[in-house]
Amino acid sequence: MTAIDHLLGFLRGLRAAGLPVPVVKQRDFMCALTKVPPRDVGHLHRIAVATLTTSVADREVFDPVFAHWFTGRGLPELSEMDEPGQTGTGGMGDDTQPDGAVQEGSGHRASWSTVDRNAVFAATTAGQRRLLVRLRSDLPAAMPVIRSRRRVPARRGDRLDVRRVHRDAWRAGGEVVRFRWRRRPTRQRPVLVLIDVSGSMKQHSRDHLRFAHAVVASCERAEVFTFGTRLTHVTPALRARDVDAALSALTNVVRDADGGTRIGPSLLEFLGNARHLGMARGALVLVLSDGLERGDCVPLVKAVRRLSLLAHRLVWWSPLACDPAYRPVTRGMAAVIAHVHKLAGVRDLDTAQQQVAMGM
Amino acid sequence: MNEAELAQRMRAERYFADDGLLTAVYLALTLDRPLLLEGEPGVGKTELAAVLARVLGRELVRLQCYEGLDAGQALYEWDYPKQLLHVRADATDVYREDFLLERPLLRALRRPSVLLVDEIDRADSEFEAFLLEFLGDFQITVPELGTVRAAVPPIVVLTSNRTRELHDAVKRRCLYHWIPFPDTDRERAIVRAHVPRIAEDAAESLVRAVSGARRLDLLKRPGIAESVEWARGATALAGNGDPWPVALRRALGLLIKDAEDMTVVRDHLDELIAP
Repeated sequence: MTAIDHLLGFLRGLRAAGLPVPVVKQRDFMCALTKVPPRDVGHLHRIAVATLTTSVADREVFDPVFAHWFTGRGLPELSEMDEPGQTGTGGMGDDTQPDGAVQEGSGHRASWSTVDRNAVFAATTAGQRRLLVRLRSDLPAAMPVIRSRRRVPARRGDRLDVRRVHRDAWRAGGEVVRFRWRRRPTRQRPVLVLIDVSGSMKQHSRDHLRFAHAVVASCERAEVFTFGTRLTHVTPALRARDVDAALSALTNVVRDADGGTRIGPSLLEFLGNARHLGMARGALVLVLSDGLERGDCVPLVKAVRRLSLLAHRLVWWSPLACDPAYRPVTRGMAAVIAHVHKLAGVRDLDTAQQQVAMGM
Repeated sequence: MNEAELAQRMRAERYFADDGLLTAVYLALTLDRPLLLEGEPGVGKTELAAVLARVLGRELVRLQCYEGLDAGQALYEWDYPKQLLHVRADATDVYREDFLLERPLLRALRRPSVLLVDEIDRADSEFEAFLLEFLGDFQITVPELGTVRAAVPPIVVLTSNRTRELHDAVKRRCLYHWIPFPDTDRERAIVRAHVPRIAEDAAESLVRAVSGARRLDLLKRPGIAESVEWARGATALAGNGDPWPVALRRALGLLIKDAEDMTVVRDHLDELIAP
């Protein structure tokens, strides 16, 4: 086997392990090897990382594959030369899967437990669909707005649109006949929906997920997470056009439905990720949960305070609050309530629709 | 220039790059590819571009990204008042290069330069589309004029704090390197290079305290910039007669910039700074 086959085999190995490298980047890698001949395996590794990966997260997949193909075998000679006596250790330049460690990084395929879970989601009834249609039309108006930083041409505005004034003036032989303006339009604030899918919310979380589907479908910038014992980003799954299709797509992603509750740690996990923080900053944050935390409440309170400082508005919808006699006296809710801008009772689509109509 | 020379010249500019970063920079120079740098805030992403400009004797052109950044502020803009005057003076052709106001990207094409596109994740994703032609071919197409190409390809450094995912099309055109926090030896070298008055063992204890603080559960882990500032502050206080550990404790506000983090660090202060 020649060195070039070996390298190509390595690239195929990456693809098989779930890290497809675009052809442009493969070309960069090959160019780099001819222009900067690697001194040793470590150097080759650094070259390969700089040219082939696009995120620090890629390294989880990349490093085991690299180790399998190169560690302990020495550098492949870039001249046409046979690898002496090494062909038996696997990876004959074909697509055979190297080892278990690589398999692990190969993305999450749907597992067979899907079949069991599909049954859990009852189909959306006609009445619910009508409510969802109303929600989709009411939601955009209920969203808080913010001024966009990107100016657009407008009849009245605060900045001269020099480009348009000039084009008009040129037509008029260099005379400025009238001014044109640009202004900052308003646009919806981002919205972030955090849905509790733990066992205590079992009766309500289906409707909450349907509501989230309406939010994703109708709002400009919406992100949805579910949490029970861990945090799951479900926005991509909810983008399916049909609500039932979206819900059944969720069964593949949400693995902790109807289990225990760890609200505080899940929210802290959310806040620990810089990329997620950006979704909460200046956004309308909507938490759909009963706030019944098992065990220690300190992480919950800490997380909610932080979330409240980041967000434009923090709205908490709890099914328990539908009862007029409800007072947030459980340890968790009592401490959290000080940081929440609004607490409302929502147990199904009907009550959600009422809240949206009242404005968030 | 080979990698060892590059490393040496960067060290002379008080920049201590690890092997991975060095290889990535060297490849960017050899292959004429943009270099996308990610890493925690304060690990020297922006500084790298400034150092490269000095090392290579090129001009540093900086484009700070922000939400709403558009083509008129990043690429080029026509000088409308000037054009208007010429139109009134019966000039026919007002779409010439001398009517073009250059913005950072165009400027980087017109002279040998190091272009720094800083904090690209702060710009909205629409902005990334403006960059594609530039990053791929080092050229900008002005519809009225034609295509402006770089005589000398600029060296492009993009930085991101990973507050959002960049578009694949941008990432595909770039080399990539993640800058981690430095190990203690390298950080000590950095601190000593930037604060020459600090003593060897003082730098040692400071760097150990910083790396200890990074292992704590903090909202914002201190970067290299913070540890250098801390070293400066503590050295100044130590100059007034404070013993070193006391000076470190008193200058702690330069390392930790968040009230909650400060409580956490104070709880662990005795482990971090040996009295």
